Amino acid sequence: MKNYLVKDLMVPISEYAAVPVGTSLVEAIWVLERAQEVYAVSKFQHRVILVFDLDGHVVGKISQLRVLKALENEREFDNEIEEMRKFKFSEAFIAHIRDQFSTQKKIIKEDILREVAAKKVEEFMQTLTPGEYVSEDSAIDTAISKLVAGAHTSLLVTRNEEIVGIIRLADVFAALFHEIVSLEEGHPGFPASPLGFKISDVS
Amino acid sequence: MKELNKLFNRIVQRVNINLRELNFDVSPFAVELIPLDQMSKFYAFYGITPDHPLDLHFEHSAIAGSYFLGKSRVRNSILYKSDIRGDELKRKGCDVNFNKFILTLTKDEIIDIEDSVLIKTLVHNYSHDPETPEKFFIKDTLAMDYVNIHGSPSDGCFLGPFATVDLTTMRDCVIGAYSYVQAGEISHLKVDPGTIWVNSHNNFNFFYKYPAEALEHYVSLSPDKVPWGILIDFIDERKSEFQRVFDYVNLEVIESIPKTASLDRYAVVLPVIKIADNVLVAQRAYIENSNLGKGANAQENCFIINSTLEGNNVTAHGAKIIEADLKPNVFVGFNSFLFGKKESRLTINEGCVIMPHTIIDIEVPLEIPAEHLVWGLVRNKEELAENSISLKKLSEIKSIFSQGKMCFEGNGAMFVGAFKERIHHILHANGAFYKNWENAGHAQKNQRLSLNTIQPFQFGVNEGMYPNIRIQP
Repeated sequence: MKNYLVKDLMVPISEYAAVPVGTSLVEAIWVLERAQEVYAVSKFQHRVILVFDLDGHVVGKISQLRVLKALENEREFDNEIEEMRKFKFSEAFIAHIRDQFSTQKKIIKEDILREVAAKKVEEFMQTLTPGEYVSEDSAIDTAISKLVAGAHTSLLVTRNEEIVGIIRLADVFAALFHEIVSLEEGHPGFPASPLGFKISDVS
Repeated sequence: MKELNKLFNRIVQRVNINLRELNFDVSPFAVELIPLDQMSKFYAFYGITPDHPLDLHFEHSAIAGSYFLGKSRVRNSILYKSDIRGDELKRKGCDVNFNKFILTLTKDEIIDIEDSVLIKTLVHNYSHDPETPEKFFIKDTLAMDYVNIHGSPSDGCFLGPFATVDLTTMRDCVIGAYSYVQAGEISHLKVDPGTIWVNSHNNFNFFYKYPAEALEHYVSLSPDKVPWGILIDFIDERKSEFQRVFDYVNLEVIESIPKTASLDRYAVVLPVIKIADNVLVAQRAYIENSNLGKGANAQENCFIINSTLEGNNVTAHGAKIIEADLKPNVFVGFNSFLFGKKESRLTINEGCVIMPHTIIDIEVPLEIPAEHLVWGLVRNKEELAENSISLKKLSEIKSIFSQGKMCFEGNGAMFVGAFKERIHHILHANGAFYKNWENAGHAQKNQRLSLNTIQPFQFGVNEGMYPNIRIQP
């Protein structure tokens, strides 16, 4: 089994979509589009935009989910949900009132879209937590642990104090899947293409 | 006064230490909380009765205008015009059941107040904490005006004005003004003003929160000010009537009171009133131009004005009923404010349950259909429709339900059943079902009660403090 290191699977930071604080959401999405067009190393597209401060340090990231959350703009509703949890209502009850709320409120409206497009990235970016960093020399096992523990879709890869890349859940999963399949290849009952696609499709 | 100031500051610090995790500082609220110079102006008093153990213990405390009944101990505390009613405490030898556990008490239960400030607060019922069945403790706690601490041991808590904590052990909690909490056990919880929360684990969960702006109109609280709002004004306007009953040693006996009913000597009664059999009117209740039918009760801090209660009505601690007609078996919960007007009376039909801390404030007549549960703020028909439900419909709820700002989860039938059972228990405890010398309750037993007074130091460093006293038979 190949002993992958984080740096074997990471995407260099220079190939990633990144914007400075103060950028509007619509501008940030354009940057992401352009980054995706030129990125051809993996079949998986970038789904995260990094946000830098004025000193060039990464201070946050914007995922697709984060953009959708900005669209919902339901901070008040979030407080209500938090309150329901505080007062011991079940997740089933919370799902019920969430459904009620979403049927009452239409999200895709021109004025809401315009408002969100003009928002600055720092208004809704996800700030980074200690569990989102991994050293480039770490074994891939460390990255898997951190991805699972924090339910992250990517981690920032460091060399000393510097951020040098991103390691993505999709790339880690593909590598892992490749390893599993390699183990089984040649095994008597193992089909050549169990799910109807080739191994090379996922690597 | 020096010792009183020192004691007050020490208690405030103790409460703050307990609430540090919630980042809640009681100091600004405490500044205007008690007029310390009033602490030497009012006597304290206690009841003597053959029906309850007499064991009172006061140590390094100020207890101006406060009333004590049953077994209680007050240490390093300041109580101002509070009622410590120990007539429902558990007795030696009784069995306490909790889940599969049964515990036999080896001594009488005691209300134990330590390092606390209670302002115009009612303490009643018994400890529902299975871990301390023989001690109903109130420790490091600051309770503001018209709080009800009902069967709820408390450690390190702040309770805003008109808050009620019912059958719940609380530790390190902040309970906002006009909130009602009945949840078994809570800790490190900050409850916003106007929150009504009734939770029975795995059975049901009821939640409603008043719109903040609307509630401020009735009860407001901010640092460095005494509480204000319609509720406070309403009580203040009638304050002088209470002055009269507390100033006189002997008041005229009202002859028309039946022998099975009890009208407390410290209740205000203004003409024309009619009191039927088995009625209980507790101390600090205010009855004016009203009829109380058989088995009705008016508990501490209740106001019943220009109203009719047809019978077996519970008016729980602090409830106010003005210009209203209540049919039989209507329950009005703690601190509710039913504010009918002369030209727009409120009618509540038979079997209704008005949830604790409900405000009904109307400008046109309003009638509540029989067998309904009502909660929250009701100012017109539309709000009544949003904040009420028939008990039958509620009983049919099996899991999830929401209506307006009310959220309910669990078994509706159990919720209704629990209320009905409790209402029956309250009526029974108060003597509503007394007949032929059986089922005697507070209404009958209180007639065998006499009162004694105790006085504070009037001068010197201990001015406002009370001497250490142990009172036993």
